[in-house]
Amino acid sequence: MAWKKSVEEIRRRREWAMAQGGAPNVARQHDAGRLTVRERIGSLVDDGSFQEVGRLTASVTYENGIAVDATPAPYVCGLADIDGRPVAIGGEDFTVRGGTTASLDKRKGGQGGFSEDLAYEYKIPLVNLIDGAGGSVTSAKRRGHAVFPGVDSFDRSVELLAEVPVVSAVLGSAAGGPAGRAILSHWSVMVDGTSQVFAAGPPVVQRSLGQQIAKEDLGGTPVAVAAGGTIDNAAPTEESCFEMIRKFLGYMPQNVHELPPLQDIGDPTDRIEESLLSVIPEERRRAYNMRKIVELLFDRESAFEIQPDYGKGLITALARLDGKVVGIVANNPMVYGGAMNVAESNKQCHFIELCDTFHIPLIFLVDVPGFMVGEQAERAGVLRAGMRAVYVASQARVPVVTVVIRKCYGMAGMATCHQAGLNLRIAWPSAEWGSLPVEGGVAVAYRREIAQAADPKRREAELEAELREYGSPFRTAEAFGVEDIVDPRETRAYLCRFINAAQGRLKTDIGLKPRAGVRP
Amino acid sequence: MAREEVESEVTGTVWKIETKVGDKVAEGDVLMIIESMKMEIPVLATEDGTIAEFQVEEKEPVAEGQTVVVLET
Repeated sequence: MAWKKSVEEIRRRREWAMAQGGAPNVARQHDAGRLTVRERIGSLVDDGSFQEVGRLTASVTYENGIAVDATPAPYVCGLADIDGRPVAIGGEDFTVRGGTTASLDKRKGGQGGFSEDLAYEYKIPLVNLIDGAGGSVTSAKRRGHAVFPGVDSFDRSVELLAEVPVVSAVLGSAAGGPAGRAILSHWSVMVDGTSQVFAAGPPVVQRSLGQQIAKEDLGGTPVAVAAGGTIDNAAPTEESCFEMIRKFLGYMPQNVHELPPLQDIGDPTDRIEESLLSVIPEERRRAYNMRKIVELLFDRESAFEIQPDYGKGLITALARLDGKVVGIVANNPMVYGGAMNVAESNKQCHFIELCDTFHIPLIFLVDVPGFMVGEQAERAGVLRAGMRAVYVASQARVPVVTVVIRKCYGMAGMATCHQAGLNLRIAWPSAEWGSLPVEGGVAVAYRREIAQAADPKRREAELEAELREYGSPFRTAEAFGVEDIVDPRETRAYLCRFINAAQGRLKTDIGLKPRAGVRP
Repeated sequence: MAREEVESEVTGTVWKIETKVGDKVAEGDVLMIIESMKMEIPVLATEDGTIAEFQVEEKEPVAEGQTVVVLET
């Protein structure tokens, strides 16, 4: 039993780690409505699947050469399973010095480090559970010099975005490095009320701008998720946040070198939904609920919305058709008629690159009157942002099917199909399209004729009526300018047929998706 | 009884109010119609409930995010 004593020492030290920052700090964490990092990992991953790495990292007090007490390092990391698939996972332990950086020989994770290297080397997803405040000026005193930005570089975080799914959950107040780390993710989530994220927190804002602002008003979900789109989704509780992480990863392959997982729930491909016939109001000016259409067309309850609170003129969701993962990009006529503004473009560009990177075919559900118009939109750079969406859609290499529900106009319309490829577009009978809407378009093109008419208002209406005749989708289908017009009830079967047929092609495209060029 | 504030998703003008205080509504029902960008944008009930109060009238301008109806749920 030569090594019994040392083995006992391992056990003793592991127990110290489990005490985290001590009972008072753990209680304070709970009082703030937050779980500890160990509870979070326990709640997120498959039961008993967490294999911690580096549990012995600590700053240890020795008496006469014997370790008598230890404060664990403020970062917990390792390997775990989520729904039976391995992931690398790591998170700051806020109960230990507020989750600040530990002075170890090697970082455990968070901004490069073991958990990130593990994800990269083993090509498994990475989950960051962020609850730390980042750098502190006190580190300069400890080192004797100020560190140049990038001493802990983001290079690994950037490399990971090309290789494996990266998910970040902001679970406390994150500023600086940890906040930046959350953005370098494929998908991010934070919790209502208990999470805030910002470039700099209230004390720095106060000092820099003289603004007094509470941290919730500076970086709570209404700002970071809904207004800024800094973080993708908001969750009401930490538990629901973990459920969303598991759900997101369920659509993702383990890495870009394989296809997303199948999950057939037995929803028939030829399911007919009668209500699809009445969901679009005959009155062209009346908006309707696009989310209802998403619900009816895709596998039952399979849609998971990304960024539901930001850029609300557009809906982006991961979903399934006959069990195969697809990405949905749908215009939302309830918000400014579905016009594409800067936020909508940001949202669409990120989502399309996400789907393209992980070999997820795209389904566009189109009802877009064009780019947002008006001085406000122009000041925000709507044209540049809108053309960026056209550029990004053109670069996607996954199969794309475009379903024109109603309006498809102008350059925003070009961002809804894949002209460089097969460009399969099917239309509902309610569809209409053109380079610009007849209303307004007529006034410009026939300005002189209208002005010279005896009754200009009436002449304008006559011209509009005449041109609207040509707007019938059947005329375009005659010319094969749109590939098909379908009964809305047939749409699901049509989409399933093509998405199933595309599975072989998807296999030929696995691997990295390099993107050349300069985004506008 | 909880109060559920229903907001307008858009900036525009109240065009038509087709419901009245005391009406029972289900989630997704149309409460009123806002005109914005030449479009009629319905304001939908966010939960099942009873209409407790209108905070706007027809023809009145509304701003994005403004509470227009209060439901009792």
